[in-house]
Amino acid sequence: MASQAASSAFNGNMKKALAGLKRINLDGLRWRVFDAKGQVLGRLASQISTVIQGKDKPTYAPYRDDGDMCIVLNAKDVHVTGKKMTDKFYRWHTGYIGHLKERSLKDQMAKDPTEVIRKAVLRMLPRNKLRDDRDLKLRIFPDSEHPFGDRPLEAYVMPPRRVREMQPRARRAMIRAQKKAEQQEQGGNDKRKGKKREVEAELT
Amino acid sequence: MTRIRRGYIARRRRTKIRLFASSFRGAHSRLTRTIIQQKIKALFSAYRDRDRHKRNFRCLWVTRINAAIRENAASCSYSTLINNLYKRQLLLNRKILAQLAILNRNCLYLISNDTIK
Repeated sequence: MASQAASSAFNGNMKKALAGLKRINLDGLRWRVFDAKGQVLGRLASQISTVIQGKDKPTYAPYRDDGDMCIVLNAKDVHVTGKKMTDKFYRWHTGYIGHLKERSLKDQMAKDPTEVIRKAVLRMLPRNKLRDDRDLKLRIFPDSEHPFGDRPLEAYVMPPRRVREMQPRARRAMIRAQKKAEQQEQGGNDKRKGKKREVEAELT
Repeated sequence: MTRIRRGYIARRRRTKIRLFASSFRGAHSRLTRTIIQQKIKALFSAYRDRDRHKRNFRCLWVTRINAAIRENAASCSYSTLINNLYKRQLLLNRKILAQLAILNRNCLYLISNDTIK
């Protein structure tokens, strides 16, 4: 099966991927697969957290952990809006005086893209004794390969999203950028600046 | 005046309190003064939580109904369901709806589809 070939493709992370599976009781749980490609970070994390808590099942009980196993793929392709790539900082204090450390989203994605989604989901879960057990149910992979190909997986369909209209200033800026890109195309195609603006226009 | 000992008055009162706290953990069921305090706390918690009980369960029923309704492709959410029920003047309370959601989900879907129309 293609899944077996895919599962042997990342031997290094096998331990991390299968860690603590024995501790999770009751394999009457479903395995849901989330594809993070092109999804906005927070909105995806919100859906994952409802599934992990088991809040989409009518047999939900707040005192026991009944959520499904969640596999998140393509973690490195998750989107953020605005300037969060450079401006969102993850901060933590080591305990020593003056040692407040920070790391931007860009650096975190370069270092470990799975941590971004994991932090987002964990910070959306209620802070109680079940939080660590729910953490075990989250399996995040940066690519689309995962070792759980032999399990009965279900793809999760994200609910339809209403994207709001662009604000007038942003829309004017986008129109200006598009016009400049068209002018650059008509002018010379070999300038570096022209290529950058084309790429920007394509992204917007 | 002659000296009068009070006898077993205090002991009788304290054994009743001790009986109340007989299933508490550790020192809370063994030491007299702690037992008196813990009984007061327990009774106060019971008083306050008799009303909380009702709130908690309604909260739980709402969550369960929401989960069941969202699994149905046709109907949207708990809020729309309740709105439709009120418009149709259907007096099912959340307790019954939650039980339907667990035991007889098709019935719940029938109701919600009917009220949407």
